[in-house]
Amino acid sequence: MIIRPINKGDFDSLCYLAKNTGIGVTSLPDNPDLLQSKIDRAEESFSKKIDSDHAKYMFVLEDTQTKKVVGLCGIEARVGLEDVWYNYRISTTVNASTELGVHKQTPTLYLTNDLTGCSEVCSLFLDAEYRKNSNGLLLSKSRFLFFADFPDMFSEKVFAEMRGVSDDQGQSPFWDALGKKFFTMDFSRADYLSGASGKSFIAELMPKHPIYLPFLSDEAQAVVGKVHENTIPARAMLESEGFNFNGFIDIFDGGPAIEAFVNNIRAVRESFKRHALVVKNPKETDDDDRSKLKDLYLVSNRSFSNFRVALVPASSIRQDTIDIPAELAEHLQICSGDVLRAVSLREAKR
Amino acid sequence: MLIVRPSTFSDLASIEKLANQNSAKISSLPQQRDKLSEQIDISTRSFAGDESLAGVEQYLLVLEDSESGGVLGTAGIDRCAGNGHPFYNYRQDELIHSSHQLNVNNKVPVLYMSHELTGKTLFRSLTIDSKYRGTEYFELISRARLLLVGQFSELFDDEIVIEIQGALDDDGTCPFWDSVGRHFFDMDFATADYYSAIKSKTFIAELMPSHPIYVPLLSEAAQAVVGKPHPLAEPNCQLLHREGFRIGKYADIFDGGPTLTARVSDLNTVKSLQTKHVKVSESTRGGVKYLISNGSVSNFRCVIGQLTDGIGDVIRISQALAKALNVSERENITFAAL
Repeated sequence: MIIRPINKGDFDSLCYLAKNTGIGVTSLPDNPDLLQSKIDRAEESFSKKIDSDHAKYMFVLEDTQTKKVVGLCGIEARVGLEDVWYNYRISTTVNASTELGVHKQTPTLYLTNDLTGCSEVCSLFLDAEYRKNSNGLLLSKSRFLFFADFPDMFSEKVFAEMRGVSDDQGQSPFWDALGKKFFTMDFSRADYLSGASGKSFIAELMPKHPIYLPFLSDEAQAVVGKVHENTIPARAMLESEGFNFNGFIDIFDGGPAIEAFVNNIRAVRESFKRHALVVKNPKETDDDDRSKLKDLYLVSNRSFSNFRVALVPASSIRQDTIDIPAELAEHLQICSGDVLRAVSLREAKR
Repeated sequence: MLIVRPSTFSDLASIEKLANQNSAKISSLPQQRDKLSEQIDISTRSFAGDESLAGVEQYLLVLEDSESGGVLGTAGIDRCAGNGHPFYNYRQDELIHSSHQLNVNNKVPVLYMSHELTGKTLFRSLTIDSKYRGTEYFELISRARLLLVGQFSELFDDEIVIEIQGALDDDGTCPFWDSVGRHFFDMDFATADYYSAIKSKTFIAELMPSHPIYVPLLSEAAQAVVGKPHPLAEPNCQLLHREGFRIGKYADIFDGGPTLTARVSDLNTVKSLQTKHVKVSESTRGGVKYLISNGSVSNFRCVIGQLTDGIGDVIRISQALAKALNVSERENITFAAL
């Protein structure tokens, strides 16, 4: 399994993946024209044909045995520089009178553009069949090695918007209590338009003044800052890497935006550079593989336009070198002596 | 005869009884004796022209049965809404949420906290004994204020505002309060209303959050009553509408009730006021009924009576009427058609 930049040849695979994403994955709309433009944008970004502030990088996870694209992840270099980026910030309003014995704290949602200019990790999607063997972690965390080598291309702060709570029919209690009242459209339609054309034009229809949370239904209040059941592991993973929830939520589904400073992300902070040593391909031994999977390292080739990341067992990490089997070296496009960047896939147990 | 005159301390018990009878609570008359007594004091000083109250005078008129001495109704005027403090209302406004791309234009009703009515003259505390509701005496106590304001316009603002009681359910709960104020106080409408009476409305209003309220986020019951009068207040609304008052864009911050506004000079009663010299006459047969007041502030009187035209600026009135109005020969009276 290998991570690499997306290219034109991935169009069909991308269309297939888009058909299989559920509502709530706004960045992967089932619309061929849009997908094509996303691929074009990514290619221009990797080849530096566009200003780094406007770059949108997309990576795919390829099964090197079948040559099939099975996953996708992205980085938006700086959000909100072309259109307007909106979040609600959960704030507190207090009204109090000692004479009346009243002291009331009211959570209040403020519409902000506070995340403007920050980098976003986004568009994470993995084919259901491949949700095993640490593929999800590889896909998500590979981006941190990209940040580690090219910090100048990004903001100091990076965030991820997590999918908020919605039911099987795509009904979002937060949307029903807020957005819908201003926008005669159901959530899945709004979600599609948002992915297709960006959020800002929908935000134009949303309330601009602060919203006192008690005005929303109990169901809506309960899901503010909460993630969809399927997104709980993803949130936990990012939090273990150092991401925090600081009160920013999505204006549509109330899901959290969690943030981290790039240099505080564990996978960035703990990553190190080391020379590659290309070795013979090991013999396939299934028993070995299983135990090795427990302790894995992400390894990147540190190339910008031909960025590659793969997983290697901890036993490959030597004092001065990293053992890379010949076949993997080919996929990573490296040879002995090249400097790689590596980090353990998971936080070390303490 | 029923006479409108300034309230005095001797009316205290009588007014208190009236305030308590008014259980439907469609008046802003305080039910607490201390507060009532304070109001009568301020009113007495206001009618007397006490300079320490300049600009924030508060007048309280009563409808007295001259035979029994009992008080059958009240009507108040604050020279200056808010009485020197901010006077809070929600201004009903609309925002257009539009998207050129989607070709959508949504009109969204919004309530903005406003002080815009602060300083305008406020008519308040209108009550009448339930037996007299719907009679000409209701018009007397209500419109007597217009004779006062019309004659002594220099004592009042050019604009008058009147807050009308908003909708309450039969059990006294207030849909608007339950959907708005209650979130910030954790108290029911009756309790908030009680504090509003013993502290001040401004005091409570200042505890309310100040951001605009999007009406579509309120309960359906609350949305339905924004700017709507209590059913019991509707006859009064109609009377005021005939007079020239119009429902403005303001709603009460507690119960969502409407606010009526008018320029003094546009009001029918004020426009039709005539002033003539009194000729006391034994025989005043027939004649049309008028609202009649004397030309005094401190001894203001207003009654319903019949007038007969005399020669030139002279008008004939009966002995009884002259006595009730506290006027003698050649003094002026001011009147308007009933």
